[in-house]
Amino acid sequence: MSDESKRREESAGLMEYSVENLVPFGPIHPALKEPEYFKLILEGEKIVQVIPRIGYVHRGLEKAAESRPWVQNMYMFERTCGICSFVHSLCYGQAVEGLTIYEVPRRAKYIRLIISELERIHSHLLWVGLMGHWAGFETLFMWVWNDREVILDLVEAISGNRVHKSMNAFCGVRRDMPENIEDRIVERMKFITDRAHYYREIIDTEETMLARTENVGNKINQETAQKLCAVGPMARYVGLRQDVRLNDPYAAYDEVPFDIVTRTEGDVRALLRLRLDELVVSANMISYAVKHLPEGPIRVKIAPIIPAGEHSSHCEAPRGEIFYYVKSTGGRTPDRVKSRQPTMANIPTALELLKGQTLADVPMVLTAIDPCFGCMDRMSFLDMESHKQWTWSGEQLRQYGIKHYFPDRFNSSNSSKFRRAD
Amino acid sequence: MSSNLLVELQTYAAQSNSKVTTTRKGETFIEVNQDHIKEFISHVVNDLKILHLATITGLDLGENIGIIYHFSQESDSIHVRSTVPKTQSTAVSIVDIIPGAILYEMEIHDLFGVTFAGNPWINQKLLLPDNWPDDLPPPLLKTTKPAEIRKRLHLEVERK
Repeated sequence: MSDESKRREESAGLMEYSVENLVPFGPIHPALKEPEYFKLILEGEKIVQVIPRIGYVHRGLEKAAESRPWVQNMYMFERTCGICSFVHSLCYGQAVEGLTIYEVPRRAKYIRLIISELERIHSHLLWVGLMGHWAGFETLFMWVWNDREVILDLVEAISGNRVHKSMNAFCGVRRDMPENIEDRIVERMKFITDRAHYYREIIDTEETMLARTENVGNKINQETAQKLCAVGPMARYVGLRQDVRLNDPYAAYDEVPFDIVTRTEGDVRALLRLRLDELVVSANMISYAVKHLPEGPIRVKIAPIIPAGEHSSHCEAPRGEIFYYVKSTGGRTPDRVKSRQPTMANIPTALELLKGQTLADVPMVLTAIDPCFGCMDRMSFLDMESHKQWTWSGEQLRQYGIKHYFPDRFNSSNSSKFRRAD
Repeated sequence: MSSNLLVELQTYAAQSNSKVTTTRKGETFIEVNQDHIKEFISHVVNDLKILHLATITGLDLGENIGIIYHFSQESDSIHVRSTVPKTQSTAVSIVDIIPGAILYEMEIHDLFGVTFAGNPWINQKLLLPDNWPDDLPPPLLKTTKPAEIRKRLHLEVERK
């Protein structure tokens, strides 16, 4: 047997999932931004297999919740995420409200909807900016993040905070809407709608975005997405009508008219179009909700002890369905709180999307799922043809991707940064 | 939840000696023996067409570990509950029916020590650090105290 065929036979064994074939990986520091880790197994330029390793910033919130009072947990779970913070406290709150006999006042439901949708717009805008950044279109990143400030200012005007709104309470919200803010919100929503249309035009015509997104990503069908438990935009972009707001309405979603967006192209550009269209839907919902905001109380005060029982709740976060399960034994602290974030549900789909793609497309595809770990800090690579192993930071991978598509955008002094570690 | 689905579940429960409970706010829990769990979940997905698995929850129930599969499809949702004894905590994996369950099973393996027979990645760590000692019990069991975890993982901060 020749050396070449022997080597091929050896490398074929690496394709199986087994512990012995894992690529060894160097140190990682939790202080880096969002440290997550994917082992990519390559065949030349093509990706054969991806193995995730998450948990570098796992802080044990579920264990911590068991020793904290019910109310305190609400603000702790809000700190799960710095982008979609409100929806976590909303979902946990709804699960706990399910154990009590109280109903949420109608005005509070509308306020919850308004904040949820503002959060969705700000999260989607942030994501569109990041897509521009990873594609090498920094101007888009600057524009979009500037528009995002409009939303953050509104959130600050309503809740007093830009990021962690701390608006929720059990059976209601803590703050009422400020007076005379209606016109301001409607005007800003019109601005967001205009910008969303403008960005739609850009991603459909601009050369950089076309090259980096069109036909990028392994195409999957509806059945696969369903079996891989895809949620949110990752399910809707293959045409599944899966949206908790529509299927199992919470807050005031059953009173505000809207329709969800689905697409069928199945590439990364479909995700961009889908999320930009969702901006318009959300903006319309907010305008409708502020105009039809009902009068009345915003909160019902409840006792700090929650009756025994178990309840679950799900909400549509910007990234997809989030799920909370709560079990009470009738004490001052929960017996068990389970929280499942959308990124966790979307990882199997992301791994499927990466298969068969080139190394240069990895940043775009992984960012396309809108992961909560926005930056892949380090990746290790194993080339099955040459048996070389090397490690790159996320920035090196980004530059490699841009150079792959637009070689003339870099001068020679930069090129040494993203040479393969031969 | 639609009444047809509830009738269907109650029929199943009557045949297999299991229990269907509906909470006050309308959530349906069905208890299924661990021996029949795969068969039942296959029935839920293929025949009842409840396709979306939201997540799998682990619970410390004292002598047993509870495992709850949360399914939903549009406005219908059912919660399939099963238990395994703590002393021999091996459950059946449903990865061949729902491939997306792979990470949820790994999570329960990390946090409760339940092994899922048939899950190809079950021996890898997902959430716990690589230096988690083998003799330290899984973190979400009620008997594992946070102070003990901090001590064993050398996370104690010296107070001056």
